[in-house]
Amino acid sequence: MDISTIMSLMNAMASQTADAAATGITPEAVIRAGALIGAGICMGFGAIGPGVGEGFAAGKACEAIGRNPQEAGLLTRTMLIGQAVSESTGIYSLVIALLMLFVVGA
Amino acid sequence: MIELEPQVWEMLGRYIGAGFALGLGGIGAAVGMGIAAGQANEGIMRQPETQGYMLRTMLIGQAVGGSPSIFALVIGLLLLFLPAGRLEGANFAAAMIGAGLSIGMGCFGSGLGCGWPAGKACDGVARNPRSSTTVTSSMVIGQAVAQSPSIFAIVISLMLIFVVSAPASALTAFGVFVGAGIAMGAGALGPGIGSGQTASGAVHGTARWPESSTMVLRTMLIAQAVSQTPAIFGMLVAFILMLSSGNLPVGIIGFAVTMGAGISAGFGGIGPGIGSGMVGDYACQVTAAKPRLDALVLRTMLIGQAVSQSTAIYALIIGLLLLFVI
Repeated sequence: MDISTIMSLMNAMASQTADAAATGITPEAVIRAGALIGAGICMGFGAIGPGVGEGFAAGKACEAIGRNPQEAGLLTRTMLIGQAVSESTGIYSLVIALLMLFVVGA
Repeated sequence: MIELEPQVWEMLGRYIGAGFALGLGGIGAAVGMGIAAGQANEGIMRQPETQGYMLRTMLIGQAVGGSPSIFALVIGLLLLFLPAGRLEGANFAAAMIGAGLSIGMGCFGSGLGCGWPAGKACDGVARNPRSSTTVTSSMVIGQAVAQSPSIFAIVISLMLIFVVSAPASALTAFGVFVGAGIAMGAGALGPGIGSGQTASGAVHGTARWPESSTMVLRTMLIAQAVSQTPAIFGMLVAFILMLSSGNLPVGIIGFAVTMGAGISAGFGGIGPGIGSGMVGDYACQVTAAKPRLDALVLRTMLIGQAVSQSTAIYALIIGLLLLFVI
């Protein structure tokens, strides 16, 4: 699907009301719109992995504390370090999303 | 340039919306009920004399776990046969597709989530038939909480069908309606699955150590409440989208901003919902086995869940930035 097909589909929708002429679906507007929606897709899907991974780490930490409660402090610290590393991809997504919002899409 | 008659848009919206509602909404409940039946079979194989208890537990679990698919059926029928009136043309189509996505994804998560506790309950009754009443009540409470994301999804679907009014720009309207549906539907997917996992850990623990059932019930409810935060974020963004449609940008930028906010807040909630639920699963099992460690486990669980929720908060922030700053 090339950009002219996308634009003619969008024009078909916009022709339902009279806003096509008012707003102008220009190539520049399509690119900016792509950056904005891309920011949403980037952060939305980028948040899935860290959420599941950090939950798994915390769950295993709970299990380990159940087996060996004396080492609770060490286990909690290890859990937090692991979660911080797992968080990094979520932060990459956040950075890219912010770049797309305020640098590409501005 | 593609020109479509308003009636064609209406049919398009009805059929795609109902397809999403039933196609997605049926998967979770079907898999969940299958898990329950599989565990019941395994239990009857090991302990044939418990089949009376087992059949009862399985049927209760399946009846509660099947209700999300019934919600999806009701909304799907509404989408197909509701007389059109308030919205027309492409706006109507967008609202119907959004309603279908919301209920479809929302019921997928809750249906799947309700299957695991039902399976663990059958397994537990086979091991310990005397505790069947305790196990069944713990299963039903867990399943009821795991269903609340699908109830949120029904609310948003019904609002999209009956309440919303169209913004001036058709492209913004498409983004608002479909974006609200995705925010709520995908936002409910993770919490439904996660709350179900927590309930399955609690049912497993209750079946093995029935004497700590009260303590486990408390841990389960706290864990489920935390794992449902992403569904609340999704509902929040859906409400903001539907209610602030008057002052959003118009045209293709309006479409991008609203759709992006919906995708970010919705899909961003899947991971944290599932992750927080997994923490609850382990925490409930440890609490059941060693009730004296209850405070320590609860603390670790809450820290872990809070860290796991951070990405949902990033996703919510990106969604709100798209709506209010751009």
